[in-house]
Amino acid sequence: MWLQILSEILKLTVFAGLTLAGILVIIIWKRDLKTKVTYMRFLVQAAAMVAFYLLFSYTTELLFVLVVIFLLSIFWGRFFCGWLCPFGFYMDLVAALRKTLKIRYWNLQDGLNKILDKFRYALLALFVFLPFMLGEIEPWQWPLAKFLAGPFKPISVLLSPVEPLVIPWESTIKVYGVNLSYPYASVIAFYSGESYALLCISIFVALTLASSFVVRRFWCRFCPTGASFSVLNRFKPFRWIPLLRLNKVEEKCTKCGICKRVCPAQVTDVYEQKGGDIKTSMCMLCLRCVELCPYEDCLRLNLAGKTIFKSRNWLEPSKIE
Amino acid sequence: MAKTDKKYGAELSQREAEEIREAMKRASTRLMDEYITRMRRAWPNRPDVMQYFDDIAMLYGTRERELLEAKEEGRKIVGYTCMFAPIELILAAGAIPVRVACGIYDAVKLGNRIVPVEVCPVVRSTIGIGMVGLSPFLELSDALITALTCDGMTKLSEILSDKKPVWTLCPPRLKDSPQSTQFWREELKAVKAKLEKLTGTRITAKRLKSAIETMHRATRAFKRLQEIRRNIPSVIMGRDAMLVNQTVMWDDIERWTAKTEELCLELEKRVREKVWACQPDTPRVMLAGSPAIWPDNWKLPNIVEEASPQGVIVADEFCFGDRFLYDPVGVDEWTMDDMFNAVSERYLLPSTCPYFTSEDGNEDRINWLTAMIKERRVDGVIYHVFRGCMLYAMEYMRIKRALDRINVPIYYLDTDYTREDVGQIKTRVEAFLEMLKSRVEL
Repeated sequence: MWLQILSEILKLTVFAGLTLAGILVIIIWKRDLKTKVTYMRFLVQAAAMVAFYLLFSYTTELLFVLVVIFLLSIFWGRFFCGWLCPFGFYMDLVAALRKTLKIRYWNLQDGLNKILDKFRYALLALFVFLPFMLGEIEPWQWPLAKFLAGPFKPISVLLSPVEPLVIPWESTIKVYGVNLSYPYASVIAFYSGESYALLCISIFVALTLASSFVVRRFWCRFCPTGASFSVLNRFKPFRWIPLLRLNKVEEKCTKCGICKRVCPAQVTDVYEQKGGDIKTSMCMLCLRCVELCPYEDCLRLNLAGKTIFKSRNWLEPSKIE
Repeated sequence: MAKTDKKYGAELSQREAEEIREAMKRASTRLMDEYITRMRRAWPNRPDVMQYFDDIAMLYGTRERELLEAKEEGRKIVGYTCMFAPIELILAAGAIPVRVACGIYDAVKLGNRIVPVEVCPVVRSTIGIGMVGLSPFLELSDALITALTCDGMTKLSEILSDKKPVWTLCPPRLKDSPQSTQFWREELKAVKAKLEKLTGTRITAKRLKSAIETMHRATRAFKRLQEIRRNIPSVIMGRDAMLVNQTVMWDDIERWTAKTEELCLELEKRVREKVWACQPDTPRVMLAGSPAIWPDNWKLPNIVEEASPQGVIVADEFCFGDRFLYDPVGVDEWTMDDMFNAVSERYLLPSTCPYFTSEDGNEDRINWLTAMIKERRVDGVIYHVFRGCMLYAMEYMRIKRALDRINVPIYYLDTDYTREDVGQIKTRVEAFLEMLKSRVEL
């Protein structure tokens, strides 16, 4: 009984903390104009995490959630990864910690980064077809829907980055009645079995935290969920579909290389491409490059052809505020 | 190395050098006075703040005394010839950056004793002032940072190494590839170590951050002034704006920033009150190519703005002008590593020096020019080339083709450090301006 009360209190503290963080973010945002998009993104990410918690507490139909996210991502591209994904949020928090400690990050080599980008499709294929490979279940005899809800649940693999830290269903790690989780924790728990679950999960958590401390947004570089979001952008007939596009005006660009350096996913296309829409599947639309591009109107975010956010001379305070 | 053991001979005797120096100093002072008077005359309601820039522009005046005092206090002065020298690092090390490349006509004749007349006059002139010790900045600097860009600059750094310790920077000719960026970073690291050794101050993250922020403020003031130059009709004469842009290279940067902001405030008031500096149909000219350097090589700006029909210079593409402060250092994280990368990339990647090449034929420079032409609403471009400046001369056709596509006239003007062709250039420029004027639509 009072465990429940405790969990309620914990939830409330989380909410209060998030609200306070939101207020703090707004204060900092007002003071430091140069990094306003980054703070805004933190706010949206925190809100998204809470939203996912609420979403999961209302519906346990993961398939439904995944389908909705997929449908939206047809129009968003990887906007989801940059702005909503809780796993990305954790990695950004780790990076923020590193920033405050003033420790440098490491860049992956561009070639390796591009190989990792291709590798995500292999991972995607592996996760989707893994259940078929395991002989004893013979999934091809099942109806598709049943298969998707089945024990291997590739949906849960694809949806794993979305898992908030506290989940409303039973999980392997339980502290005072609160079901704690971490991206991919349930999948790892499932595949590693009861006895090793905790060990495997803690190794995974430690590895991802450490890697994102050293390399910015490490997991995002080969996350299979990201691949499924960007897969439509890769095929020419579907290129017109995404509503959100990062656009570059070649003339205004002086090739100063800021966009390349500040990109947490080390996308080089924004720097290399000669104007036009940026099409790479590596871009998460986190808009860090647009924020730090010092040339008026050079980089911009278009929503259905209409510019909603663009680069400006950030040495001057914004006229909008 | 013993003082007599000079690599590039042509020694002047002490007495001879002193005589020439005094004579040239007098001539140069008179000339600077004359040019400033002419600038005042061409712009009747010149703001009072411009007086400050006039003072700083007088090379043998206020600034020389200040530098002498600073030197007596034990501060180090670091000269540089190219805009590849990292100002942020010099400031962070506690040294004073001053630019030493020069535009004094008479010194060219001295330079001719060491290098042939085919060499770029900026180089010959800098050699000349070095021989007689004419430039206070070159004389006072404790070390020189030179960039091995064009052939002239490369050999100039050799010749100047007779006089001062010279730290060379070698920018890679192709700037896009990761290995170039890495190489350039290593070059700057070497210079950073030398700077730290010279001043005895370690460049810490805190110091570098404050230096970057100082330059940010300067860039901000600079951009504000450039924004004002976009106005039609212009509220500031081009020569004055160019003078402001050039003084930052030897002035105290923070004071310059404050004064430029003051000037901008005054000019913004004039924009609101519609107090123009020239007629609305004055052709808006952009100068491109080899730099016009204060004081003597004010020939072309003078001619353009005193010609009839008069033109107004609204933009220039000089490393001694609009390009110097155009790009801010964009720092992602304020760690030492990232700040240093940001500084090093800022000096290499956005540079549109014709020294660079790329597979797309120096497209960066074309983009920069077209963007500038559209932004400042330029009517025509005068392509100013020194005799002997191969890089700018050879890129002319490329620029012309690109500007033909956007229908902006461009005029090739080759000249030298000499006063003999003033009349001839005046005629040519006036013809060009007349053509532009007939195209100007109100």
